[in-house]
Formats: sequence, structure tokens, C-alpha cells
Amino acid sequence: MKKILALLLAVFMVVGLFAGCGGDKPVETTAPKADDPVETQAPVVDVTEPPAAQEVVLPRNETLYFAGQQWGTVNSWNVIGTNQNNAMAIAGGASGYRSLMFETLYMYNPLDGGLYGLLANDDYAWNEDMTQMTMTIKDAAKWSDGTPVTAADVVRTWTIGVEIANGTGTTFGAYIASIEADGQKVIINAAVNEAGQPVNPLKVLDFLTGAPIAQAAWIDTLAARCNNDATAILNDAGEDVVWSGPYTKYYADDQKVVLIRDDNYWGQDASMWGKLPVPKYIAHTIYADNPAGETALKAGEVDVCQQFIGNIQNLWLEDGLPISTYYEEAPYGVCLTMPTAWYNMNMPVLAENTALRKAIALAVDYDTIIANAMTNQSPSFADVPRSLMNPTDGEQALYDHDAVADLQWAGNDIEGAKAMLDAAGIVDSDGDGWREWNGEKISLNAVCPNGWTDWQASMEVVAAAGEKIGVEITTLYPEYSIYQTVFTDPAQVEYAIFMWSPEAASPSNPWTRVNQFLGKDYVGVSNNWSGNWGQYVNEEADALIKQIPLTTDQDELVRLYTELTKIYLTEVPSFSLMYRPSVFHAVNESVWTNFPNDDNGIPPMDCTDGYGIKALYELELVG
Amino acid sequence: MKNTLRQVFHSPKFVGGFSIFMVILVILFIYPLINPGDPLEMIGVGTFAEPGIYVSMYDATKTDYETLRLPDAGDKRVAAALKEEDRVAMVEWFTVMEIDISELDITDTDALLDLWSEHYDESIKPKGMTMAKRNYYKRLNRSLADLRAGDTIIIAEENEEGVLEQTDKITATDYVRVGAVANVKLLPLGTDNFGRDVLKQLVSATGTSIIIGLIAGTVATLIGLTLGLLSGYLGGFVDDFIMFVTNVFTVIPGFVLLILISYSIGQDQRGASVVAVVIGLTSWTWTCRSVRSQVISLRNRDHVNLSKLSGHSLFRIVMTDILPYIASYVVMAFILQVSSGILSEAQLSLLGLGPKTTETATLGLMMNWAMLYSAHTNGSWWAYFPVILTITLISFSLNLMNTGLDQVFNPTLRD
Repeated sequence: MKKILALLLAVFMVVGLFAGCGGDKPVETTAPKADDPVETQAPVVDVTEPPAAQEVVLPRNETLYFAGQQWGTVNSWNVIGTNQNNAMAIAGGASGYRSLMFETLYMYNPLDGGLYGLLANDDYAWNEDMTQMTMTIKDAAKWSDGTPVTAADVVRTWTIGVEIANGTGTTFGAYIASIEADGQKVIINAAVNEAGQPVNPLKVLDFLTGAPIAQAAWIDTLAARCNNDATAILNDAGEDVVWSGPYTKYYADDQKVVLIRDDNYWGQDASMWGKLPVPKYIAHTIYADNPAGETALKAGEVDVCQQFIGNIQNLWLEDGLPISTYYEEAPYGVCLTMPTAWYNMNMPVLAENTALRKAIALAVDYDTIIANAMTNQSPSFADVPRSLMNPTDGEQALYDHDAVADLQWAGNDIEGAKAMLDAAGIVDSDGDGWREWNGEKISLNAVCPNGWTDWQASMEVVAAAGEKIGVEITTLYPEYSIYQTVFTDPAQVEYAIFMWSPEAASPSNPWTRVNQFLGKDYVGVSNNWSGNWGQYVNEEADALIKQIPLTTDQDELVRLYTELTKIYLTEVPSFSLMYRPSVFHAVNESVWTNFPNDDNGIPPMDCTDGYGIKALYELELVG
Repeated sequence: MKNTLRQVFHSPKFVGGFSIFMVILVILFIYPLINPGDPLEMIGVGTFAEPGIYVSMYDATKTDYETLRLPDAGDKRVAAALKEEDRVAMVEWFTVMEIDISELDITDTDALLDLWSEHYDESIKPKGMTMAKRNYYKRLNRSLADLRAGDTIIIAEENEEGVLEQTDKITATDYVRVGAVANVKLLPLGTDNFGRDVLKQLVSATGTSIIIGLIAGTVATLIGLTLGLLSGYLGGFVDDFIMFVTNVFTVIPGFVLLILISYSIGQDQRGASVVAVVIGLTSWTWTCRSVRSQVISLRNRDHVNLSKLSGHSLFRIVMTDILPYIASYVVMAFILQVSSGILSEAQLSLLGLGPKTTETATLGLMMNWAMLYSAHTNGSWWAYFPVILTITLISFSLNLMNTGLDQVFNPTLRD
């Protein structure tokens, strides 16, 4: 009887539950009307946003969606400020400035190393002793308020940059003495040393492609409202900014950033593109993490994805998705940099034992790193032997391959590494399986930020190599917030082997990268984000590095770079673990097609950086 | 004791749980004997090799072969290179190129291939065709070329002058017996993101995780039991104090505490046993509370009072007059602690706060790496699903044993 009662009770409760659920429905239908649009436009609009949000309905076939650039909310639109966190509008892309909204004088193309005129004509020229460079601003170039872009704007952009020490000012301050205007003509006076030679002409070229030009009148307005206070100018939100690029701000919140095409863009002039870029809107949904962006790419919600996607070929081979990369085959992208493991020279055991440094580098199994961490999206060190150069043809031609062939290594050479350590007297004398130096067991750590999975996998492989040659290497993955304060500290002795990437490509590379590997400019610099994180000092190498910027003779350049490569491969102050694109490029062609690829000569620079922006003018709708 | 054991082993639930657990334990001991070696060795270059039998291509070409004239071999070969949707896609290409296909029978492979080789050109870019699609046709064209290449593959080796010399040729009817090939590797669960044998690693990880569970369970039970006994038996200020501490620990969410402690220890200090102890240190509170309440109900029993009157020491009274009465409960609590210890390790490791990775494999670390390499989104089920299944089986068997014991020892649950 009890059981029947219990059963009845249970049935009653279940029915009640359903009735309760059913009862909810009318509530939903009587919900405030404001909710209705939310449901239909859920992916696009958040109802809690100000009214402007309601207007942001982006037609899919006029919008190009991005992923992997913007993380977190936009801080400002102030092109001469700092900390804007505005990846779509204001960002020094790894290989050329992102010129959607603000433009540079020239656009850089890492594929051919060329500089293409943007605000300036293709007429830049050095004087004889490379102390002065001149160029003219295009007559057609206009600001968004209709006024022409003039040489005076370039001058004002430079002077304010030096005055308030923004990115442009601090990056180029040491290389440019002054900039003058003469009508439409811009005159850049390079900084000179005591001997009257320019400090570094290569860095002046970087200025042409890396410094966005702002309007002089707007800068004056901004400076006036900030009472010329540098901090205030740097942190101004710049909502009233004047731009010269093809896009401008349309909408930004913590969900997404949208730029809209400026149909009055001056670049329609025949002296530039002769037309407008194809997509009316540039949108970037702010994703929580990489997997979210990847999922959106697969679903066709993202057109251009700047994220590392492991085993990307499976997206089309197995899932049959309309996704493609720059190259159809591995390595799929253009590798411009090489993530590198740096030895900490503050540690005597590493600083005093070249054999130990080279032995570890010899023993590491790079093929496993490339297959695992990069899922083969990198050429191997057998294909592109290690040097100071990235794998592009231009840089590879800058050193004598035969001269350094004996010094290069492809890795996984356990016996060679052991022999090298034995010869150097670094042996296991107490029989515990680990080698000692000066009577103490060598114990190193291999460090990279937590959650950077490809680097973590690489560090695991380095640690495994250490075990094979009897050198104890343990992995350590601190949080990035901690990592970045330690590895930029010139006196740190906490990380023995740690990872960071050198520069990718710019007009001043490979010089800048070589200087990062071997130069002593950055040794001892606190809060060092610039280079030589291992604090390696070599006077001979430094002297060679100093000669390169002033050398124009190609044979002499090759000689210098070859010498430096020899020093680098002999001394091993660091060792690269893989080659890697500076920006990843995976596109979903559900809506748009004709993206940059191997055939059309446009670099895969996220369709936005440097000369890569040309991609936006070539896009076509599918079908 | 014998009687108790007999009772316990008559409980079907306990026996069920016990057998599952024993099977797992037996596999843990047997499998490394069959497949010895370092479970963390990276044998595969590349990520996530699928489960299956891997035959060395190198050795296979050097193995003697038999000729088998299988009637459907050719069809299978064609079917593998040219699927139904490929045929449809080829027709699409012909349509885009405005080629007359009114005569074409799509199932006629030869006619299709002839027409294809006549008209396909890699360099043509039909208007509006996506690069993904063009790449697809390129790949299709390559596999079709293989299909048309004839039925002989020539094996050549480089001689001393660096010139290729034919050493052998393989025809479409040559077959090698798998057993005759020198190197055949069975990877029942494929490889993980580091190219490590998942099954081998799983077996080793299960062992580690059970040990972590046992350590964590022992630590938690010991602390909980000691404090519970003291608090319950002594009462008064000691009771108040211990309960105060216990309550403090109870209201702090245990897992948050666990995360904070693991985080502050730092990764270079976190071995498997340290993680186990940390888990034990944060999960003793409920054992303590239940032991205390049981002891309170016991401490005024006649036999306890008798021992007190006889002048027995506190230690002796607790050990002989109280502990035996709650022993069955403690055993059950211990089993649950072991189970939750294994789960806690898995959760911690999944968050990246588990033991150091290169030294040991644990179930949580396996899932952590599988997640970091998006095994769940790229379809590599073998990297995480067997791990989840193992965790489930272990906790299921332990919980089943616990329920079985409960039915035996708890008078209110007896039938």
C-alpha cells in the first residue's frame, strides 16, 4: 500500500513539474518586447547595450569577420597614445603596420622585402652618405575631414612622438634626429654618431613602414585639451581622431569591434588603389580563448583566423570544410620567425660551458618539436638549416651556406652531444646518472608561460633531450604575468633555458634579429623587451653587427652575416626550436573567397598588415 | 572476522565493485610485462596517431610476398581513391567548364577518368570557385593520377655514385603476411599529442592515480579519524577547538583551497606524492565530523565507562573500546576518500595544477594535455575517452564496494 502511495506521489510530482514548465511559456511570450530582437539577433547584439547596439546588424555578405587579433575591450582610438588595446585599428603588426584606419608612409611586403607607397610616392631616396632621406606625400592623400595629408603632418607626428615618448618616439628616437617639411616633401635627417655616420639607416626604413601618421591639426587639438601634459595625451581616448585609412570605427564593446568602410577614402584615386576595399564592415568578435575562435572559424562565423590551429589540414581533409591556408601543403603558412630557447648567461654553468650549451642544442629532437608543437606547420632544420635567418629566400641568400655547413645541426644527435660533454670534462663522476660540473650536479630548468601549449610541448622535448645526455632539465610553466617580469629582468637567475621569439620581418631585418641574438645593446637593460634576453656578450660579434647598417655592398653584407652565423653556431647563446609564421592565416571561404595565396603575390599578413591589406581589394563573394 | 568477510563477500554490490577493481589492478600488473618500456617515451613523431595496427612500410617492402589474385582488389582500390562524392564533384567541374557530359555514365570509372585527364587543368581558376575547392580538385587529381599510374611500383635504392638503381618492384597483386613483417606495432589506443602510446601511458597513469588516491585517502582518513576520536571522546574545550577548526575548513570550499595550495607550492615542487598529500590535507573534514558524532554516541556506553573505572589509559580506551565499533565506518569512509582523491587529482591536473608532467603520467595530466591540444574538438577521442572511462570505472567500483559494505554493516539498511 505504501509503495502504491509513493508511486502515486511520484507521478503527481512529475506531472506537477511538467505543468510548472508549461506554465513558464506564457511568461516568455509576455516578456518585455526588448527581448524579442535579442533572440533573432543573438550572435550580433546584446540587448543591455546602449541604443547604438540595436543598429549593429551586419549583413553577412558585406562583413569580413576576424579572429585571433583583439582580446578584451578596446581602450582608445588615440593613434599617438599608448595602451590602446585596439588590434583592428591601431597595431604595429609583426610585418607591417595594420593600416585599416591609420596609414603609414609605405607598406612593407615581407615576401619580396619591398616598400610600396601608401601616403607617400614611391620616390624615397637617401643622400650620398645616408644621413638624409627624402620622399613626397601623394597629392591625392586626404584626411577623413577632407583636408590633404601634408609633409607637415609627418613632422608633427614625429615631434609629438618625441615629446610625449609614445611608441613612435621611443622606437625611432635613437635613429632619427629630426624631420622637416618642404611643401609635399618630407626630409628625414638620420641621427649621426661622432664620426658623422648615420646610427642606423635600416631603422629609418622601419619608420617608413611602422609609424602611423596622424593629422597635425588633430594633434594640436588633443595637446591643447590636455594642456600639453604628456601622460594625459598618451591616455586620451581619442574619440574625435581624424584618420586617413579606408575604414573607421563603427562600434566597439566587450563583445566585438566593428569598423566601417569610409566611402570617401582617398585611396580610390588612380594614384593608389583606384577602388575601395570590398567588405563594407570589418568585424572582430572578442572570443574568450583560442578554441572559441577556432570553433567559430569552423562554423563559418569567422572568415580570417589569426590563430595557431593544430593539424589544420584535417579541417579540409577530414571535415571537408571550405577552409584553406596560404600554401596548400605543409608548412601551410609563411614562416618569418623562429621561437628560440635562450640560455641564461647569468648562470656560470651556462656562461662558462659552451660545450654544455651546444650539447643540449645538439641533443634536442627538433623533428618531434616541429611535428608535435607545430603539427608540421614549419619547415624542418634539415630543409632550412639553422642560422640567424628566417626561411624566406631573401634572408636565406644573405649568408654563405657552404661556409657554415659544418657548424649546423639538425638535432637528435645524442652520441655527438655526449661525446662533446665528455670531451669538455663534464662527466658523471658520482654515478647517479647525472653529469656534474665543478663537483656539483648540473640542474637546469626549461621555462615558458603556462598555457602556451606549443612552447610547453617544446620544453618537454628539451627536457627529454637533457635526460638522454645525462643533464637534468626540468620543465617549469609559470603564469605569463610572472614569466614576463622575470625573463625581461637582466639580472634574473631563475630561468636557465627560456623561450621567446625574435623579430619576424621588417625592412631592418635580419639585422634587428641578429642584433637580438648577438648584440650587446640590450645587455643589462632593465624591463628588456628588445632582445638578447640571455645577456650574451661577444665584442667581436657586436663589432660586426655595428658595421651592417652602414654596409650597402651585397658581397660585404653576405660576408658579415656569414661571420656572425659562424659565431652564433659556435657559441650557441640560444637555439631556435622551430620556424613559425608571424601571423597565422586560415580562411573560411563560406562567404568570401580570393584570399591571399601562393599565386596572387599578396602576403598572408592577416589581410590588414602592411602590403597585406591589398587582399581586401581583391576579395570576392562566393557564388 | 571470518564471518564478517563472508558476509561482505555475499553482498553482490561489493563483489561487483571488488571484481572491477581487481580486474583493473591485475591489468596494471600484467600489461607492463607484456609491453615493457617507459610509458612516457615519445614513439610517434606527430600528434594523435589513430588506434590500429601499424606495419612498417620499410620492412614490408623487404618481406617476401605471395601473389593473391583477389577479384575485388581493383574495385576497392578505385573506391578508396574515388568516392561517390568525388564523382559528383568531377561532374561539377565538367559543368563549370561547360563540357558536354550528356554521354557520361558517372559509374563508368574509365570513361570518367579519361574525360577528367582530358579536361582538368590545375592552372584554371573558375570564377567564384573557392581556393578550398580548387585545392580539393588538385588533391583529387593527384590521387587519380596514382590510380592511372599502372599497377607496378618500383623500389629503387641509391648506389655508391648516388644513382638510383632498381632493386625490386611491387605489383598490385603482391601481399605480405602481417606476421612476416619484422616491425608491426599494435597501438590499441593510438598515440597522444606527444606521440606516446596511450594505452601504455593509461596503464601507468592508472597506477599512479590509484597510489595518489591511496595516499590522499590515508592522509585524510588518518587526520579525520584522529581529530574525530579526540574531539568526540574528550569533549569540552578540545571538542570545541577541534570543531571550530573543522567548521572553518568546512566552510572554505575545499577545492578552492586545494587550487590555492597547489598554485602556491609551485610546479617544480609538485610531485605526485605532494599533490596526493595536499589533496588529503584538504579533504578530512567530513570524516572528522562523522567520526566525532559516532564517538559521542559511544563514549557513554557501559563498556567504555567500565574501562574508565578500571583506570585504562585514554589511548587504550580509544583503541580497544571505541575504534572497533566504528572500524567498519572508517573503512567505508576510506574507500570514498580514495575515490574522491583520484577525482581531485584529475580535476587539479585538468586545470594545469597537477604533478609535473615529464616525470609521471596521471589520469588528470593525460586529460590536461588532451584538452590543451583540443583532442575533443579535432576528434581524437582515444586521447581522452579511455581516461574518462578508467576514472569512471575506478570510482564506480569503489563506490559500489562502499554501498555493498554499507548494506552489510548498517543495520537500518539490512533487508
